[in-house]
Amino acid sequence: MSEAPEATDAPKSAERAESTASAGTEPVFSVRNLWKVFGPKASKIPGDTSLTGLSATELRERTGCTAAVRDVSFDVEKREVFVVMGLSGSGKSTLVRCLTRLIEPTAGKVDFNGEDVVGMDKDALRDLRRHRASMVFQNFGLLPHRSVIDNVAYGLEIQGMGKAERRERAAEMVDKVGLQGLGERRPGQLSGGQQQRVGLARALAVDPQVLLFDEPFSALDPLIRRDMQEEVIRLHREEGRTMIFITHDLSEALRLGDRIALMRDGAIVQLGTPEEIVANPADDYVRDFVRDVPREQVISVRRAMRPLDASEAADATGGATLAPDTLVSEAIEAVARSGESCRVVENGRTIGIVDHASLLTVVAGINREGESDGGGDKAKEVAAV
Amino acid sequence: MNPNRIRNTAFAGVGIVSVLALATGCGAADTKAGGDDKVVLAEPSWVGATANAAVVKKLLEDEMDVKVEAKQMDEPVAFDALNSGKADAILEDWHGVPKKQKKYVEDKKTVVSGGDLGVVGHIGWFVPKYWADKHPDVVKDYKKLNKYYKDFKTSESGDKGHFIGAAPSYSQHDKGLIKNLGMKFKHIPSGAEAAQLKELKRLYDAKKPFLTYWWEPQWMNEQIDMVEVKLPKYTKGCEVPESKAKCGYETNQLEKFMNKDFANSDSDAAKFIKNFKWSTKDQNKVAGMIAGKKMDPEDAAAAWIKDNKSTWEKWIPKKK
Amino acid sequence: MSSPTLTKDEDARPATPGPAEGPAPERPDTTPTALSRFLGNPKAVVLVCAVLVVVVSALVSGSGAWPGALTADVKSPLNDLDDWLVDNRDTHWLFLYFLLHFSNAAESSVDSITSLFDSMGWIGVTVIGTLIAWAGGGADLSRRALRTGATGLAVFLICGILGVWEPTMETLALMVVAVVCAAVLGFLLGLASGLSDRFERILRPVFDTMQVMPAFAFLLPLVLLFNIGTPSALIATVIYASPPIARLTALGLRSADPAALEASASLGASGWQQLVTAKLPLARKQMMLGLNQTIMMCLSMVVLASLIGGGGLGDEIYQALGALKIGEALVAGVAVVLLAVLLDRTTAAAGERLDDVVKAGLTKTMARLRRAVWGLIAVLIALFAAIGSAIGEGEWPDGWTVDFTNPIDTAVNWLTDHIGSGIPVLGGTITWAEGFTESVLNPLRSGLLATPWWALALLVAVIGWIVGTWRAALTGVICLALVGWMSLWDVAMDTLSQVLAGLVLTVILGVVVGILCARIDRVERIMRPVLDTMQTMPQFVYLIPVIALVGQNRTGGILAAVIYAAPAVIRITAQGLRQVDPAAMEAATSLGATGRQQLFGVQLPLARKSILVALNQGVVLVLSMVVIAGLIGGGALGYMVVQGLSKGNLSQGFPAGIAIVCLGIMLDRLSQPSKGRVRD
Repeated sequence: MSEAPEATDAPKSAERAESTASAGTEPVFSVRNLWKVFGPKASKIPGDTSLTGLSATELRERTGCTAAVRDVSFDVEKREVFVVMGLSGSGKSTLVRCLTRLIEPTAGKVDFNGEDVVGMDKDALRDLRRHRASMVFQNFGLLPHRSVIDNVAYGLEIQGMGKAERRERAAEMVDKVGLQGLGERRPGQLSGGQQQRVGLARALAVDPQVLLFDEPFSALDPLIRRDMQEEVIRLHREEGRTMIFITHDLSEALRLGDRIALMRDGAIVQLGTPEEIVANPADDYVRDFVRDVPREQVISVRRAMRPLDASEAADATGGATLAPDTLVSEAIEAVARSGESCRVVENGRTIGIVDHASLLTVVAGINREGESDGGGDKAKEVAAV
Repeated sequence: MNPNRIRNTAFAGVGIVSVLALATGCGAADTKAGGDDKVVLAEPSWVGATANAAVVKKLLEDEMDVKVEAKQMDEPVAFDALNSGKADAILEDWHGVPKKQKKYVEDKKTVVSGGDLGVVGHIGWFVPKYWADKHPDVVKDYKKLNKYYKDFKTSESGDKGHFIGAAPSYSQHDKGLIKNLGMKFKHIPSGAEAAQLKELKRLYDAKKPFLTYWWEPQWMNEQIDMVEVKLPKYTKGCEVPESKAKCGYETNQLEKFMNKDFANSDSDAAKFIKNFKWSTKDQNKVAGMIAGKKMDPEDAAAAWIKDNKSTWEKWIPKKK
Repeated sequence: MSSPTLTKDEDARPATPGPAEGPAPERPDTTPTALSRFLGNPKAVVLVCAVLVVVVSALVSGSGAWPGALTADVKSPLNDLDDWLVDNRDTHWLFLYFLLHFSNAAESSVDSITSLFDSMGWIGVTVIGTLIAWAGGGADLSRRALRTGATGLAVFLICGILGVWEPTMETLALMVVAVVCAAVLGFLLGLASGLSDRFERILRPVFDTMQVMPAFAFLLPLVLLFNIGTPSALIATVIYASPPIARLTALGLRSADPAALEASASLGASGWQQLVTAKLPLARKQMMLGLNQTIMMCLSMVVLASLIGGGGLGDEIYQALGALKIGEALVAGVAVVLLAVLLDRTTAAAGERLDDVVKAGLTKTMARLRRAVWGLIAVLIALFAAIGSAIGEGEWPDGWTVDFTNPIDTAVNWLTDHIGSGIPVLGGTITWAEGFTESVLNPLRSGLLATPWWALALLVAVIGWIVGTWRAALTGVICLALVGWMSLWDVAMDTLSQVLAGLVLTVILGVVVGILCARIDRVERIMRPVLDTMQTMPQFVYLIPVIALVGQNRTGGILAAVIYAAPAVIRITAQGLRQVDPAAMEAATSLGATGRQQLFGVQLPLARKSILVALNQGVVLVLSMVVIAGLIGGGALGYMVVQGLSKGNLSQGFPAGIAIVCLGIMLDRLSQPSKGRVRD
C-alpha cells in the first residue's frame, strides 16, 4: 500500500507536514521517545535495551514496573486536532499529562514551540501552564465552593489578574460556551454537560495556544456528548486553536480528529488520519477496533477507486465525476444515480474509476489482498520507532 | 462561610495570637502572676478549710475593703504557690508535707509561719460508736482489733479486715503502721475525701462495722458518732519513714503559713491573717452549716460573723 | 475476630481457678463440624494453644510477678527531676524565658476574657451568645438558624436560673481561649501533616497515642511544669483537644478531590495558590467536623482540669462533691451538658450551612446580611463591654434563681437508699456489687496475677498477631514489658482486670441496647437524649452517687466506667445495624425470615465491623474511666495518678500515667483489626 505511514510522522498530513515544514513553522508539540514508567527504579528501564522490548506483563514480572508510556514519538501541528485514542490503561491519559509535566516523564523529549519542556524550571513551566496550554478534565475538576464565573476565572486569578477584569473575561467565556445566565450558580447545581462547559470555558479563558482534552466527555450521556462534540468542532472552526484530544471512543476520535494516534499498552500502534486507520488497520488489534465503523462514512473514493486500465484515458471526459476526497457514502449515491461507474478527477485529470464493485468492497470491509499485512507491519515499525 | 468570612476569621486568629505574643512580651517572664492588690488564699479541699477561708474572706472584704480570692489547692501545691507568690497565705496546714515545709520555711525562707490557727487537729483510727459499745476492749488497745478482723472483711480486703484509708493528699502513714503493728488488715485508700465520707455515711447508716482513718475537726462528726482506737503514742519523727512507722498521730496545732513578702508587707490584710485565730468549735459551727445544712459558704460565714462579733473584732488591726 | 478472642481470653481464666459466674460469653461449639472447621483455621489453633499455655502455667506457677531483675529504678531519677523542677521553677532560663511566658499568657488571656464577660454583664453575654448561635446557624429566618439561636438563649437563661451563672462564665472564658488555641495549634499541625509526608509520619503515631491516652494521665507533668492553676488547665486542654482538628484537617487536605487539584495545577497554580484556593476550601467540611470534636473535647477536659485548678463549673462540681452536695454537683453538671448541647448544635449547624453554601451558593444580599450580622456582633460586644454594667448587673440577679439542689438531693438519696439494699429478695446494688467483686473481679485479678508474665506476653502477642499484624503483636508486648520494667506489673494487672470486666459489661449492655435502638424506633427516640446526657455529663457527677449505690470499691469504678462508655458503644452498634445493606434485609424478609433470624442471620454478621469498632471505642473509654475511678476506690494505677497529682509527686504519678498509656495502647492495638491491617 503506497500510502502507509512512512516516517515517525503520519501521512494525510504527510503533505501538510511537508507544507508546514516548508513554510518554516515548527510543530506545536514535538514528542520524541517519551517514556513514563511507574515503579521501583523506573528511570533505569527506558535505557535498558534488554527490557524495552518486553511486553507489559513481562516487564512487570521482571522489574515490578509498569510502563504507562513507552517510547512514543509524534508531532502536533498548528491548528490541528490531534486525537490520542486507546482503551483504558493504554497510557493515553498519562501521555497527555506528560506534555505539561503534570506527570514527570521518565525519559524522552517534549518540545513546545521548540522549547524544551522537560528542561524547564518551575517558573517557565508555570508560565507554560498558565498561558499557553490548558486542560479540560474528565471529571471536570471544578471547585465546588466557587460560582461558575469564579471557576471560569480561576485560571486568570492564578495568573494574578484583578478581580473585576477576570470576572468580565470569565463572563464572556461563560456566554461563549452557552451557559448564559448561569454564572452565579454553583457547579453542584449544574448538569454534567453544563459542568464540562464550565471546564471548557475555564480552559478557554486563559486564551491558550493549545487545548488539552483528557477524555472530557466520557462521563456524559450520549446525547450530551454529541452536543459537546459539536461545541468543540464549532470552537475549532471559529478559532482554529490547536487541540490534543484524548478519548477511548472511536467514533468521537473519527469525528474530531485530523489525525489519530492509537495507543495500546503505552505505545502508539498506528498513527494516521481517520481514513487511514479505518481503511488500513496496522494490525489485528486496530482492525478489531475499527471493525464496526461505518466505513463508507470515513473512507474517500481516492482509496476506493481502481486505477485506470489500459482502455481508459486519463484525460477522458464525459460521465459522472467525483473529487478524490468524496466519501464513499456519497459516491454510492452518485454511482447509483448514474447507474454506472464514475471517474475520479483531480486537477482535471482522471486518476481512477469507482464502480459498484469497488464501492461494495469498501462497505463490506474486504481489503485488497496482500496490502493490509504489509502495511500493517510497516505501521507497526513506524510506531515503534 | 464565604471567603470574606474566612479572611476575617484568619485575621481574628492572627490577632489573638499576636495579642498573646504581645502579652508574653520578650525577655524574662514575670514569675508572679495576678494583681497585687488582691489577697490570694490557698484553700485546701476539706470543709474546715472552706470555713476558714469563707470567714476570712468575708471579714476582709466587708470590714477592711480588701479583695480576696480563695483558690482551691491542697497542701503540697499550696506550699509551692506560697513559695512562688501565687498564693499569699494558707490558713490551715496539718504539717502534712514536712519535706516541702522544711525546704521553703527553713532552707529557702520564702515561706513563714503565720502562727497557730487555734484549731487543734487530731488524726487517728476510728470505729463507729455502735460497734465500739459492743466491743469496748478495742477502744483501749488497738491490738484487740485483730481479734475481730473478720467483722471488717469485705470483698475488697479478701481474707483480711478492711481498713478505710485516707484520701491521697492527707497526712498519713497507715499503710506502714498496719504492717509494722502486725494488723490483720488491708489498707485500702480512699480516692478523695468525698468518697470516704460517702462510704462512711453509707456504712454508718447500714450500721455496719468499719475501721477508718479519721480526724477532727470534721463537720461530719455532728452527724455520725465515732470512737477512737488507741494507737501507740506519737513521738517526734516516729512516723518517718513510713515503712518504719510504729506510732499514732501527733495532735496538731494547726498552723497558718504565709508568703514571706506578704507577711513582711505590713499590710492590714497580713496583720489580720496573723491575728486570725479561732476554736475548733467555731470552725465546726461554720463547717457544719456549709456541709451539713448545705449552706453557701458565704452565707454560713455571714451567719457566724453576725453572732460572734466579740471573737473577730480582735483580729482587725487597730487603725493607726 | 477480636471480640470472641478477647472474651474467650477472660472467660477461660476465671473458669479454671474458681467458679465463673460472670457474664459468660458463648463457648466454642463442640460439634464435629465446628471442630473440623476450627482445626482448619491455624490462627484459632494457635490462639487456643496460647490460652492453654496461659492457663496451665498459671495453675502450675501460681504467681506471675514480673522478675525483679528486669525492673529499673525509675523513681530516683524522677525524684531528682522533681526536686530540680521545684528548685528551678522560678530561676531557670527554661522557665523564665520560655515556659513562664506560656503560663502568663494563658493566665492573662483567660483573665481578660473573664473580665470581658464580667463587664458585658449577663444581659450582654446572653444577647451576644444568642446572636452568635443564630449567626452560626445561618443568620436568617430559616428553621435551623432560629433553632440554634433559641438554643443559645435557652441555655444561657437556664444556666442563670440554675444559679451557676458565674462558674458558667468562668468555664466559657476558659473554653474560648482553649478552643481558639487548640484550633490554631490543631490547624497548623494538620496543615503540616496534610502537606508533608514526613510530618504525617511523625505526627500520626503521636495522634494515635493521644487518642487512647486517658486525659487524666497527662495532667501531672503539666502541673509540675506550670504549677496548679489556670495555665496548666488551659495547656492540658489545648494539648488534649487539638488532635481531632489536626487529624481532620490533614484528612481533608489529603482527600481533596484530586481532579480539582490537578485542574488547579494544570492552570499553573503555585503550591501556595493551590493550598489557598483549592485545598483549604475543599477541606473546610472536614475541618468544621474537627472543630466540632475539638470543642467537645475541650469542654470535657476543662471540666476534668478542675482537678488541677481549672476553676469554673468543674470546680463547682468538685467542691460540691467534696461536701457531698450531690444536688449542687448535678446542677453544675447540667450546665455543662447544656453548654455541650449549645456548642455542638451551633457548630453542627454551621457545618450544615457551609454545605448548603457550597451546594447552592449565596445570594449577594444574604452574604452582605451575614457580614452585617457579624459586624453587629462585634459592635455589640464593644458596646456591652463599655456600658454593660450600666444596663444591668454583671452577674445574674440573685432573686431570679431557682434552687433545685435540695429536691435533687432528696431524690438521689431516696433512690440510692432504696436501690442500694432495700429491695426485697433481690438484695440490692450493694449485694450485687459484692457478688460481682467476689465472683468476677477477684478471680480475674488473681488469675492475671497468677499467670506468669511470659505467658501473658505470649497471649498478647498471639492476639495481636491474629487481629492485626506482627506489628500490633510487637507493640502490645513492648507495652506490657514497659509496665513490668517500671515495677508496676501487679498494680497494672489490677487495673487490667477492672478494665476487662468493665469492658465485657459495657459491650454486652451496649450491644443489647444498640440492637433495641436499631430495631425499635421508640427506644431510639427515648435513648437519644439519655445518651447525649450520659456522654456529656462530667464523670465526677456520678462518681459519688455510685458510692452510695455500690460502695467505695472497684465495682463502683467499673459501674461508672460502664455508664461512661456504654453510650458510644450503643451508638456505634445501632448505627452499624441500621446501615446494613437494605437489599440484604429485603432478601431475608422475602425468604420469610423471622425478626430473630434477620437479626442473627443478617444484621449482626453484616454489622460485625461496626461492633468491632464499638469494642475498640469501648476499650479506650472504659480504661479512661477506670483510671478516674481511682478517685472513688478503684485503686491501682488510677489511685497512683490521683495521689501523684494531689501530692505533686512525679515519681509516683508519672510511671503510673505511663503504665496507663501503655495499657491503653496495648488494648487498642489488640482490638483494632481493620485499622491495623490497613496501616501495613
